[in-house]
Amino acid sequence: MQSLPTTRLAGKKMAPSQDPMFAGLGQAMRVGTDLLAALIVGGFLGWLIDSYVLDTTPWGVSVGLVLGLIAGIRNAYRAAQRWGK
Amino acid sequence: MEDPLHPFELHNFFPLSIFGLDISVNKAVLMMWVVVGLVAFLLLKAGTARALVPSKLQSLAELLVDFIRGIIHDTMGASGMRYFPLITTLFLFILFSNLVGLVPGSYTVTSQIIVTGIFAVGVYALSLVVGFKLHGAKFLGILVPPGTPGWLLPLMIPIELISQLARPISLAVRLFANMTAGHTLLKVFAGFVVVMGAAGVVPLLFVVALTGLELLVAFLQAYVFAVLTCIYLNDALHMH
Repeated sequence: MQSLPTTRLAGKKMAPSQDPMFAGLGQAMRVGTDLLAALIVGGFLGWLIDSYVLDTTPWGVSVGLVLGLIAGIRNAYRAAQRWGK
Repeated sequence: MEDPLHPFELHNFFPLSIFGLDISVNKAVLMMWVVVGLVAFLLLKAGTARALVPSKLQSLAELLVDFIRGIIHDTMGASGMRYFPLITTLFLFILFSNLVGLVPGSYTVTSQIIVTGIFAVGVYALSLVVGFKLHGAKFLGILVPPGTPGWLLPLMIPIELISQLARPISLAVRLFANMTAGHTLLKVFAGFVVVMGAAGVVPLLFVVALTGLELLVAFLQAYVFAVLTCIYLNDALHMH
């Protein structure tokens, strides 16, 4: 039984979700899609405003993409800040 | 060579509709039943003995409980244990969908964006409901990061709104894209094995290695989904 990870987990020294490799991979998975999703949402909201609310083509999409990029980078930055803790 | 995306297509086993609502049973529906049945069977079997010296299955179940409790304590603190059943259900369903999907001839339910999308939107909607129930209209304050000077508000509110709306999308797309991409890659390499004849040993080795990688991804994606559910719920429970 010694070789099973159970014994280490039962020791409660380290929460299993803090296993450095596993948790690190999980955090890496998050940042990429978060960046992309923010960009898509920004562009889509801009496009919605362009086509249905105000007649401001191309400005809505342009501003939306820039805001989406900022939001994505901000999210990545905040996620990275949490790693240090 | 066969189209590597062909296995993702769904065909109805038998068409069925009630009041114009299409509830036909296809492979994905069947696999969801299999996954739910498998999880329920294993957990019931693991949970009924309650031996002091646990069997292998009971150890696994205890390990799982410890694992989820670790995630919840890390992200939400002890008060988050109220959501333990929800997180465990999501984690187990996604994990078993991913794992069962690796069996040749079966189907990966989580490679359908409608499935992952419903989960993601459901989790996000729950976090909104919890937030508004707990904080009332003050919950709208999540759109204003603390310490923002007044003149920055017209810029910060749209940015925060975008990052909030991006949450369910990123949650859904991550799981769906990882599962679909991994399986497509497996199928492409498996196609090479047949086409290349004797030299097909090389792609065959790739397939073996990729299957190992897919096992890791299956666990990792279920873990990431559970962690993010916790983080979003935590943001609703404790604003900022």
